Amino acid sequence: MSIAPAELARTDIAEDFLVDRPWITLVWNDPVNLMSYVTYVFQTYFGYSREKAEKLMLDVHQKGRAVVSNGPREKMELDTEALQGYGLWATFQKDD
Amino acid sequence: MATAFKRKGDRFVARLDDVERQVVVALLKQTHEFLAPAPREPTGDPFEDLVARLGMPRLTDSAGDAGDDVAQATRDPALERLLPAAHRDDPAMAAEFRRLTEHGLRERKAANLASAISALQVTDGDKVRLDQAQAQAMVVALTDVRLVLGERLELRTDDDADALQDRLEAASEDDPQLLLAAYYDFMTWLQESLIQVLMDL
Repeated sequence: MSIAPAELARTDIAEDFLVDRPWITLVWNDPVNLMSYVTYVFQTYFGYSREKAEKLMLDVHQKGRAVVSNGPREKMELDTEALQGYGLWATFQKDD
Repeated sequence: MATAFKRKGDRFVARLDDVERQVVVALLKQTHEFLAPAPREPTGDPFEDLVARLGMPRLTDSAGDAGDDVAQATRDPALERLLPAAHRDDPAMAAEFRRLTEHGLRERKAANLASAISALQVTDGDKVRLDQAQAQAMVVALTDVRLVLGERLELRTDDDADALQDRLEAASEDDPQLLLAAYYDFMTWLQESLIQVLMDL
């Protein structure tokens, strides 16, 4: 239990909010995965619309990578694990 | 002669002749062998053995010490592509992720490949009939096969993939890469046809 002054305690809470969603899952371009398959995985795993899934797929293909989800670290690790299960080149990191 | 997957009622149906089917099954089996996690020897410690049976990482597995750099360097690049480092700038975090997830990922990939193999072993003339779960397992299993073949063909960039055809035309007939590339092309075609049907659902 903290006995810090009220002002400091409020700062802690504010920081907690800020660090609540600073993690992202990235998918990187690779020469093997088919554009249709990458779209299929984004729709199937995330439940994204065809339009959103295709836009993300094109970002991966043209820009070399795309942020496909964001949220708490634990969730990003789960997303990364699931996408690697599908054979996509997925990584997670802190958003900066 | 193979025909593309088509939707027939609640089944996904393609035709593969005997040779084509044997090639697909052999590639799925090789990928399964490559990926399936080694069975863990019982340690004699009831708790550790229970943890191992649950497919969880062992508490004694390496968690990113200095030895990992060596293991990383000697890891088969195809395995590195199937199970890439999950963090690009933080090797310790990537090693920890690998310790926690690799065994389970290998098990799930192996189960997918096994399901695809058994689906292809039910024959009805030259027809392959998949239900939806088998089709979903097949499309993922074909990805893992293509990732391994792609790595063996040294496809590292989109330009490499685009140049594959030219490279093959220049290759001599006994170049072993020719056969790999023919398999790769066939698996790509088969996978693309199955994805198209799955996406039309």
